[in-house]
Amino acid sequence: MNAQAIQILFLKDLFLSRWWLFGYLLGGLLSAGVTSLPGESAGFIGFILMVTVTIAAGIHMIGVLLLAEQVDMTRTFVMSLPISLLDYSIAKISVVLVTFLIPWLGILTSLAVLAFVVPGAKPGVIAFLVPVFLFMLAGFCFQLVTAVISESTGWTIVVVVLGNVLLNVFLMNLNKNPIISELVKSDQLTWPPLVLTIIAIECLVIVTALGLAFLFQIRRRDLI
Amino acid sequence: MSTALDPSPHLTSAAALRGVCKAYRHFRLHDINIQIEPGTVNGLIGPNGAGKSTVMRILMGLVQPDAGTVTVLDQSISSHDVNAKREIGYFSDDMRLYKSETIEFHMQFVGSLFPSWDEVYARQLLDRFGLIPTQKVKGLSHGQRVKCLLLLILARRPRLLILDEPTNGLDPIAKQEVLAELMQIVTDENRTILYSSHNTQDVEQICDTITFIDRGRVIASNHRDEFLDSWRRFKLRTPEDWRAPSIDGLRSETSFGNLQVMTLDRYQPAAEERLQASGATVETSEAMTLEEIFVAAVVRGREETR
Repeated sequence: MNAQAIQILFLKDLFLSRWWLFGYLLGGLLSAGVTSLPGESAGFIGFILMVTVTIAAGIHMIGVLLLAEQVDMTRTFVMSLPISLLDYSIAKISVVLVTFLIPWLGILTSLAVLAFVVPGAKPGVIAFLVPVFLFMLAGFCFQLVTAVISESTGWTIVVVVLGNVLLNVFLMNLNKNPIISELVKSDQLTWPPLVLTIIAIECLVIVTALGLAFLFQIRRRDLI
Repeated sequence: MSTALDPSPHLTSAAALRGVCKAYRHFRLHDINIQIEPGTVNGLIGPNGAGKSTVMRILMGLVQPDAGTVTVLDQSISSHDVNAKREIGYFSDDMRLYKSETIEFHMQFVGSLFPSWDEVYARQLLDRFGLIPTQKVKGLSHGQRVKCLLLLILARRPRLLILDEPTNGLDPIAKQEVLAELMQIVTDENRTILYSSHNTQDVEQICDTITFIDRGRVIASNHRDEFLDSWRRFKLRTPEDWRAPSIDGLRSETSFGNLQVMTLDRYQPAAEERLQASGATVETSEAMTLEEIFVAAVVRGREETR
């Protein structure tokens, strides 16, 4: 493993996606700001905007940094350099993950801050938002593993659509749950066992998906 | 930046493929054996879809063979073992740069991966190729893109250059500029070049050794001058009941009544005497161009594998 080559590849991709990254982070922060505006509909619109920005950031970064290398034939150029498949895989999966995590974390953090500082906001909502955002992260990881295995935009979009449907089912079930319903109205941030269990399962799914993505990438025989 | 090449007197071969096979759904490389001597310029000629690019990708470790062994600069090469790639410059016609970025960005990116990157030479090439460092790749013409890729390859001073159809689609001026740069590199005895093309004129211009490949098979391999010396075309006037004498490598190309056009791929002066002795009159005996030899070898190879 060549740490220097991994770093160079990572920074190259971060640089290539810089404007998109900035755009998604800005969009995410603005939508988080919308949630703090007065009125019930502002909160709803802000939440929908946040989910949309997060999902769009995920699929776009996978497209720009992973799938486009195959379509635009820039991978032949990169792989002609002294870079092993291991270096390439570590750098690529890391940078795609990081470019998603930057707006993801930015939005989540700003929401958490707003929940504490905006008058009338309920800090208890954070225990609802964390499982929702982890669900979106897990969905992103499954899109990533699909893109790595299939190298197909079509299949990746299928997983995105499937992820969105499942996210809606997940949100519906969270809303129906009395423990969660109480949490979002609470002035105190608490982490009941149900929420911690959901978070643990989501973390396990995320780690499994990332492991699979890496495993499939490293076992590839032909690089182009 | 270092510009000196490490001369390697002990290098036994610049690249070697032994018994290499690779199967795709609609294409197969069959038992490829190619040996590339250090300090030589080698041409790989084949029609489109012959397997030239696959051979080069295997040499670069971009594609793994199903069978056989590959060594490059006396080292094994695979997707995990990239030491040899530090000293190889690979160009492929289907290789693309990041279109939203500038030439300068690419120079910095490639330079950061190669300790041997020669910035002075890179600037000279920019000037010689008429490239503007601040220009974005998406604004480059095909010829400029090829030159930019060659700059990125040459400025790292590789010991082995693997060039897959570098002059494909270039206008005559750009082609001449690229070939002139390659001719300059050829003067360095430490450099080895493998150059693929379906254009025999380009290959004939710069290559010492030539390998013909067709339908995934190596059909002939020889030094350029030996190729040119060993192939002959005869125009014969023959009597009605004439039968061709048994001469190794003699094949009929066309026949019009008592006029025969024949090719011979292992020419010896004695062949003409034997043809005369058989009753035929040798009207002309002419050397063939590399393109004619290539076409004849492909046709012969296809007949033999039919």
